[in-house]
This record gives sequence, C-alpha cells and structure tokens, in this order.
Amino acid sequence: MSVQTDRPGPLRRAGGLRSDPLWRALLLLDVDRRRVGLAVLAGSAGLGSAVALAGISAWMIARASQMPSVVVLSIAAVGVRFFGISRGLLRYVERLVSHDVALRGMATLRVRLYEQLAERPPARLLAVRRGDLLARVGADVDAVGDVIVRGLLPMAVAAVLGVGSAVAVGLFLPAAGLALAGCLLLAGVGAPWLSVRAARTVEHRSAVARADLSAISQSMLDGAGELTVSGRLEGARAELRRAQAELADATDAGARSASVAAALHPFSTGLAVLSSLVLGIPATTTGHLAAVELAVIVLLPLAAFEASALLPNAAIAVLRSREAARRIMDLLDVPTPPPATSTSPGAASARPDVDAPPLEAHGLSCGWPGRRPALTGIDLTLATGRSVAVVGPSGLGKTTLLLTLAGLLPARAGTVLVAGRPVDQVSRAGVAAAVTMTAEDAHIFDTTVLENLRVARGDVSAAEADQVLGAVGLQGWLAGLPDGLQTVLGTDAARVSGGERRRLLVARALLSPAPVLLLDEPTEHVDAEGTALLRGLLDGSLAPGKAVVVVTHRLAGLEAADEVILLGEEGTVRARGRHTQLLAGNDDAGAGTVNAYRSAWTAEQQERP
Amino acid sequence: MKPLDPRLLRRARSARRYVLLTAGLGALTAVLVIAQALLLAAALAPVVLRTADWPQVARTVAWLALVMMAKAGVTGLQERFAHRSATRAVAELREQVLEHAVALGPRWVATHPVATLATRGLEAMDPYFVRYLPQLLLAVTVTPAALVVVLGLDWIAGLTVALTLPLVPLFMALIGRLTQGYADRRLAAMERLGHQVLDLLAGLPTLRALGRERGPERRVAALGDEHRVATMGTLRIAFLSGMVLELLTTLSVALVAVGIGYRLVWGDVDLQTALAVLVLAPEVYLPLRQVGAHFHASADGVAAAEQAFAVLEEALPARGTRPAPDLTTTTLRLAGVDVVAPDRAVLAPAGLDLVLAPGAVLALAGPNGSGKSTAVAVLLGVLRPDAGQVLLEPVDEAALDLAEIDPASYWSQIAWVPQRPLIEPGTLRAAVLQGREVDDAELAVAAGLTGLDEVVAARREGWDGLVGQGGSGLSLGQRQRLALTRALLAPAQLVVLDEPTAHLDADGEAVVLATVDRLRNAGRTVLLVAHRPSLLRVADTVVHVAAAPTAERDAPRDCSGGAGAATLPSRGSRAAS
Repeated sequence: MSVQTDRPGPLRRAGGLRSDPLWRALLLLDVDRRRVGLAVLAGSAGLGSAVALAGISAWMIARASQMPSVVVLSIAAVGVRFFGISRGLLRYVERLVSHDVALRGMATLRVRLYEQLAERPPARLLAVRRGDLLARVGADVDAVGDVIVRGLLPMAVAAVLGVGSAVAVGLFLPAAGLALAGCLLLAGVGAPWLSVRAARTVEHRSAVARADLSAISQSMLDGAGELTVSGRLEGARAELRRAQAELADATDAGARSASVAAALHPFSTGLAVLSSLVLGIPATTTGHLAAVELAVIVLLPLAAFEASALLPNAAIAVLRSREAARRIMDLLDVPTPPPATSTSPGAASARPDVDAPPLEAHGLSCGWPGRRPALTGIDLTLATGRSVAVVGPSGLGKTTLLLTLAGLLPARAGTVLVAGRPVDQVSRAGVAAAVTMTAEDAHIFDTTVLENLRVARGDVSAAEADQVLGAVGLQGWLAGLPDGLQTVLGTDAARVSGGERRRLLVARALLSPAPVLLLDEPTEHVDAEGTALLRGLLDGSLAPGKAVVVVTHRLAGLEAADEVILLGEEGTVRARGRHTQLLAGNDDAGAGTVNAYRSAWTAEQQERP
Repeated sequence: MKPLDPRLLRRARSARRYVLLTAGLGALTAVLVIAQALLLAAALAPVVLRTADWPQVARTVAWLALVMMAKAGVTGLQERFAHRSATRAVAELREQVLEHAVALGPRWVATHPVATLATRGLEAMDPYFVRYLPQLLLAVTVTPAALVVVLGLDWIAGLTVALTLPLVPLFMALIGRLTQGYADRRLAAMERLGHQVLDLLAGLPTLRALGRERGPERRVAALGDEHRVATMGTLRIAFLSGMVLELLTTLSVALVAVGIGYRLVWGDVDLQTALAVLVLAPEVYLPLRQVGAHFHASADGVAAAEQAFAVLEEALPARGTRPAPDLTTTTLRLAGVDVVAPDRAVLAPAGLDLVLAPGAVLALAGPNGSGKSTAVAVLLGVLRPDAGQVLLEPVDEAALDLAEIDPASYWSQIAWVPQRPLIEPGTLRAAVLQGREVDDAELAVAAGLTGLDEVVAARREGWDGLVGQGGSGLSLGQRQRLALTRALLAPAQLVVLDEPTAHLDADGEAVVLATVDRLRNAGRTVLLVAHRPSLLRVADTVVHVAAAPTAERDAPRDCSGGAGAATLPSRGSRAAS
C-alpha cells in the first residue's frame, strides 16, 4: 500500500511515519508479530479458499464437458469439497486470532497510558476533564485496537490475495493476469480512496451542522417548558429543520464519491471478467490457452474481489483510528518537567527537618498554568496539630491553593516548603508522604467500602475502618449496607448520596498516614450535622496530631479553627485570625477592612429556617 | 425491532420511499444477476467446446458488458440514495422525538436520556439504512429469483440449493438461541471488567493526591487480561454463527459444482447450463451472507429506533379543552400540591398552598431543593402535581381545575422568565420582540429599565447585533436582562420570574426591583422565586416552600442540594405567611 511509496498517502504525512499518531499508538500496542502473521495467513487462506473453489470448480466443469474418466474428476471434486469447508473454518480462526491480538494490544495500551499518565506532571491530568479522560481511554483505545481487525488486517489479506489471484491467472495467460491486477488495484485503491474522501467531505461539511443540531436539540429539551408556555415552539422547530437540511446537504455532498466508490466494486469485477473473455477467447483460438483454462481465467475473477470489497471500510477505519490515536497522543505529549533534584522517594520524609513545620507557604501565588494567577500573596505556616480554614466566595481559586500546597500544581510565585524543604525539590512520593489532598470531586472507586478506604493506606484493618466511619458519622449508613464494609459501592458510587460521599472522603483522608491533610469543601452537601464534622476536623478531635487545612465557603463551625483566612474577591488575603477576632473586626491582617466576614456570617445565619 | 419494522415505515416518510426504491433496485439487480450468469455461460461454453470463436460470441460478450456495467450503475445508484434517505429518515424521527419529548414536559425530559437519543443515538441508524436494509431486500429479490432460474436450468442442482437454503436461517437461529444466555453472561462480565479499568483511570487524580498512583497499573494489566479472556470467550461463541453461515453457503456451492460436474460427464446436462448454474449458485446465498455480516453493525441503530418508538409511544398528558378565563380577574390557587422529586424519596414541594390574586406580587422562598421551581412548573401547567390541585377562580364564575383548561389559551396570558432563559439565535431585537410589533420608544423604555440598553449600546450594530446559538455572546447576567425586557414587553397578565437575581450583581438587583415595581404599577400579577431578602421585601406575600420525605424511604437518595444545602430545613416544617 501507500506506506511503501513516497507519495503522501493516507498513512504518510509531512512528519513521516514516525510522527504519525496512529503509528505511534500502534507501537504502544506492542503486538505479537507471530500472531499477526498467523491472522494474515488464516485470513488469506480463508478468502483464498473461495478463489480456489471458483477456479477449481470452473476447471472441473470445463474438463467434465470433455468427458474424461471419472477418476480425473474425482481429484478435482475432492479439492472443491475441501475448499468448500476450509473457507469457513479458516475465517473463524482468522477472526479469533485477530481479535485476540487486538485485545492484547488494547490491554497493553491501557497499561502504558496509565503508567505514562501516572508519571506526567499532575497539572496535565487535572486539566483534562474526567469525561474526556474516560472517553479517550475507553473509546479511543478501543478504536486504536480496532484498526488491527478492521483496518490493517483486511488490507494485508487483500494484498496477499490480490497478488495470489493475479499470479494464478497470469500463469495461464499473462495478459489476463495483468488485467486482473489492474482491476484489483482499481477496486482496492480507487474505491477506498473515494470512500475516505467522501467520509472526509461529510465530516468536514457536517461538523457545523452537527454542532448546531446538538445545540438546538439540547436547547429544545432544556427549554421545553419555556418554549411551550411562550408559544415559541414553532420557531425552534424551524431552526431544527434548517440545521437538519444543512446536515442533509453535507451528507449529499459526500454521497457522490461514496456512490462511485460503491459502484467501483462491481465495475472492476465486471471489467476483469470481460478482459479475461476478450483476451482469452482469441488465445484459445490460436492455441495459446487450453479451452479448459479459459473457463478458469474467466470465472476465477468473480471470486477474487471479495477481499477488496472490505477495503473502503478498512480505509475509513484507519482514518477514524488515527483521530483516536491523535487524541491519545495529545494526552501523553506534554513536556516532562525537569526531575526533582532529590529523586529518592524517602529523602524528604525519612529525615525531615524536625524543627521545621510540616507545611509552609511564603508569598505564594497560585493558578493554572497559562492563566492569570488566581491568588497572590498567601503566607501560611502549618505547625503540627494546627488547623487552618480558608474561606471566601466560590470560584476564587481556593481549590487551586490546595493543589499548589499539595505540590500537584507548580507555584506561580513564592515557595511551598514541606518539612522545611522546597516542594519542587522533593520527589512526588516524598511530597505525597507528607501532604495529601482530598479534592471535592475525589473519586469513589467501584469496589468495596473497605478497599475505598485502603486507597489512602493499604493496611487499614476492618476495625480501623469501622472506627473512622463512626467518627465521621457514617455508622448508620454502614449499618444499612447489605454487606457492611464489603459492600461494593458500584458505578461512581451511585449507592452513596452527596453527603455520605463527602463523609466517606473525609474518612479516607483521616486514614492517610501523611501528617498534613488538605480538604476541599469536606462538608458541602452534608446536612446540619456537617458543622459538627467540620468542627471535629478543625479542633483536632478527629485527626489528633495532624495539621489540617480546610477550604469551605460556609462559616459555621470555624470557631474551632486555629486560624481562619478570608480571601477577597481580588484574590488576596482580606482578613485572617481566629473566628471570634474576625467577627469582632480586629483581624491580624490590619484594621480598616470592611468587616466582610461578619456580614457573610450574618447572611449565613439568616438563611437558617 | 423486526428486520423491517412497520412502525419505521409509518413514522418516517423517507424510509417508506427508500424501501420502495431499494426494492425496485433489488428486483432490477435480480434481473441483471441472472442475465449476467446466462450471458457469461453463453459466451464461454461454445468457446470451451471449440464450436465457436470470437466473431460468433462477440455479440454475447457485448451484451454481457452492458449488463455488468448496468449492475455497477445500480449499485452506485443504491448507495447514492441510501445515504440521502438515511439522513432524511433520521431527521424525521429526530424531529418527532424532540417534539414529543417537549410535549411530554420538562420533568419527563429531565428524567429521560432523550438528548443522547436525539443526537448520537439516532445517527447510529445510518448503517441500518445504508448497509443492512438493501441486503435484506436483495435477500427477498435476488435469492428467490436466482433460485427459480437454477431450478429451471437444472432441477437437481436447484433442489440442492433449495434444500440447503433453509438450513442457513435455521442453524443461525439455533446457534443464536443456544449461545444467547452464555453470551449475555459473558457480555456482562466483559462490561464490568472494562468499566473497572476505566474506574481506575478516572481515579488516577485521586490516587495521585494521596500518593498512591504506583501499583494499580498491575491491576489495570490484570483487568485487561481478564477482559480479553472474557471477550474471547464470548467471541468464540459469537463467531460460530458466522462460521456456520460461511460453511453452509460455500459447502452448498461446492456440492452443486461437484454434482453438476459428474452429471456433465454422464451427459445429463450441457456445459452452458452447467456454467450458468455454477455462476448463479453463489448469488443465491450472497445476500443472506451479507445480511448476516451487517446485522451486528446495524444493531445499535435498531436499538436507537426502538428507543425512539418508545418515546413516541409515551402517552401525552390529556389536554383540557375549555378556554382559560381572563387572568386579570382570576385568582390562581394551589391547594395541597405535592410533587415527588425524581430519584429521591422526597416531596418537593410538599403540601403547598398559595393564593395569587390578580395584580398581587407573590414570592416563593425556601432552601435549594425545596421545590420552588417545581411549584412554578405546576402553576404554569407544564407539570401535573402528584397530589393537590391548581384552581383558577374567576371573580364571578365557578372555579376551574387547570387540567380542564386548554393550555394554549392559558399560556398566552403568561410571561415566564425561567432560571436559564432560552435565547434563540438572531438579532437582539428579534430575541426581545419574538415577532411582536412594539414601537421603538416602548422598547427603549423597557430596555432602560432592565439595563439591556447598555448591552445594546456596547454593540456596534445596536439592536441588530447578533446572538449565537444558546445565547452565546451574552453573559448570563445579560441574558437575564434580555429575558426581563422580553417579559416587560409581553402582553401578559401573569409574569413569573424564577430567581431573577441569580446571575446579577447588586446593580442588577436594583434592575429587578424596578422591573417588579413597574409590573405592579401596570396592574400585572407577579410570581417571584426569590432568595435575597431585598427581593422578598417587594412582595406583598411570601410563601415558604418546603420539601418533606415521602412516606416510604427505600431508594438511596442523592442529596444534590447545591450551595447552602447545609441549611435544609428540619423536614416537614412549613411556614406560610
């Protein structure tokens, strides 16, 4: 195929094969060449059986008309019967082997993807939306694996079979062999090329119409009530019709190429049969070709095009798989940051500076890479056993602050010190051993309650789990579970309500061996008793001896914090101090600020029934 | 769905036309396939028998060429119309599904995954239309026609084909039945394993935050391996039907070839007949093989069609027929309204009573999730309460139940600004006026009141400035201002504002207060859903909405209360002022 040519073909782009995303993804599949060879062999032999069946039965019938002895025919009859059976069996083997190769490849690719994602800078992974990640790892990995079964294997089989058929016919009559080869090329290259062109045209032209259609459908459904009440349904319907018509036009634009591609298959088959007739009949007359052989070279082409009939779809499969491969490679293609100067995992945690507080931040600015820093000028010293609550309006960057403190996002300015050492000089394992963060949307795994807790520490015992679940107020929930700690929580924790989920995350955080816990909105969605939970986290009764930073946007329970940091709209510390100090208005950050804390507190109190 | 569901033909006009066209082309294909076999045999036999040379068969070959090219043309034509018809049939179904879903109301839409069906789901019908359906129709045209011709040419070969042909569907059905339970169990295992791998990957950020990201890659590998073994188990069975299909069809052709070969030697048939049978026999089976091959690819589309029919067969709530009374003189009353929240064992609202007199300003207050917007939907008649009544009480007539009233006549007297107002793409002017004639002065006054005038002034094109799909180009606050302007200008007695200050700053709040005042002075009835005390103060009456647990608390609950959920009221307490 075009891989070998220098012409820029479907598999070859400006960057060359090495930078082709599909090629790179295929390398990651690490397929077993012997199995691929076996699949190609079985596939070629399977479809080759059909060609052989056509050729031998043509020979047998033509020979029979010359009234030979039955013995001559019975050999051919055995061949015909044999190929009648072998086709089905060999195709079965081909399908099994090729799917096995593909599935092995997909499994390998998933592991590689996991390993590479686990090594990349965390910021990259955090920036990918969960849904996107799942789509890439789920559907896209499947699409890349699929290319073996649907794309490359049919191409290889068609190539082997095409060469085989053309050579077989050419042995009888070289000119007819050449003609067959030409027709096979037309069907095997021309039709796929046209199909890919059609698919590209449609995809290109319909992208806008499709997006419009989704948006209109979605807004019709979202605004179902409003549209009916305000009598605007007719307008929405007209919009929908317009987008549908555009989509239909886009499909029509590709349909012409697609229809030519479809017609090419019977056209080239017919052309091959006709060329054999036109070339073979005079050759029979002149004696260059035996009469029986004429039947073979005319009827064999009827079966020789079966493999190339699969190629248009194979070419489209390659096109689609390349898109999938590109998305996967985008996920992996990020510059790896210079490795931490200390690479030994235990370096930071094994011999910490005993006098240094477990976590400090000086003049810290934080924000997502490539965006304006969300918060600036944050100073924080977290001594062992101390608790800090960070409050402020939502959307301000409180989560970003926690990510930066946990070493999961690089600081935009200033420093974060873990046990006295700059966080960027401590290995990832070292930082994680000292500081763990529980994000608001932290994952509940599709496994048992106990295993979900063991995510924090591998050796959590059932008794410990019982105790900690009780401490966060989940004893009632646990008692209601059918299998207690061994209950499987199911797909994305559908068994768990919003409030129970938060409590479970708190429980998991409490089991972590790290001396510093960072918790993002641990009591959001938690009902009235949530205040008690928050108080317990802050006053040290739940996590004795640990330093705790809690981000929240509610103020109830903060009187238990050693320090409350109030962030202002402009992304700086507006006030800090103990709850009572802040309420009184004499905060540590200096007088003169409007008492935003007190008004927030008053507002919150008023919301209560 | 059956191979060709009559519901599809009934619902989609394009599908009807397409099936007719495809059947016609199928019949034509049958004629061409038969002609091709007969002509090929006629051209080949005399040359092989050395009774004729090129000059004698040239005419036959020319006819053969014509037939073969015609066959290519028919194939191209079929493909050309297949794509077109698929797009159109899907469009027709999509439009019907969306319209029906809208008619079923917002609550139904919110609890059914109809958006996915309307977009990606129905698109999956393409392979069904383009690949499966044509082969299905070839199987009922080419297969019987070719079989009849084979029978006519040589009844023994014909009989062989006729006897093996029914074995194909028989064995397929048999294998299908034998393997179904097994395949289903395996499929479930496969999906579970596949899901667990994704689950680990989805949890990777969490694992990293806890410093536990190393190790699970072994689990990913082990799960991948298990997944492969499970999948291969399924495939070994699933591919059996394909193997039987190929085995039966090729072996039958081989048997026909061998049989006719021997009878040729004995002089029972002549070469031309034998060649024609040899070429035609595979054509009898080909459509059946293709139907089998495309069956799985079209399964998603068939499932989507099935879902679409399920939506379309969902009964619409009965609509009342009596014209609505004039709302300028009619009091609206909710009496003991309960609505069961979807997926939660909660009534939100629970036992809600309210009285909305003409010209009054009434505010609904209460924590998130207590059912304020649901109460509005009930009052508007887009949602039927699970218990209780909505009554319209005209000043000098008997009270009417909202369910008896023709909704169009009721809605035409209402302007509703929901939390996320829908703004159609087009000019700002069109979005505000919605086809109504309003003079510029009135428009300017209304826009000045809501602050939309600033949005318009900031645009070079002014009122002709464009808004994109889904209101893009406008901030949430600007959309709110636009929707408020729209409500001010609408000739409606009842104006419903659902959290009108949600996306507005202090400035915007003043706008809403001014709008409400304006509406009050114009004698309009206003229903507000409000959080902020400032907004509650402008209301004549404040009704507190509360949720309550349903009697039976069985299902796991999802307390997706949103911000401020910590202040859920003690359940069941309800205060009305």
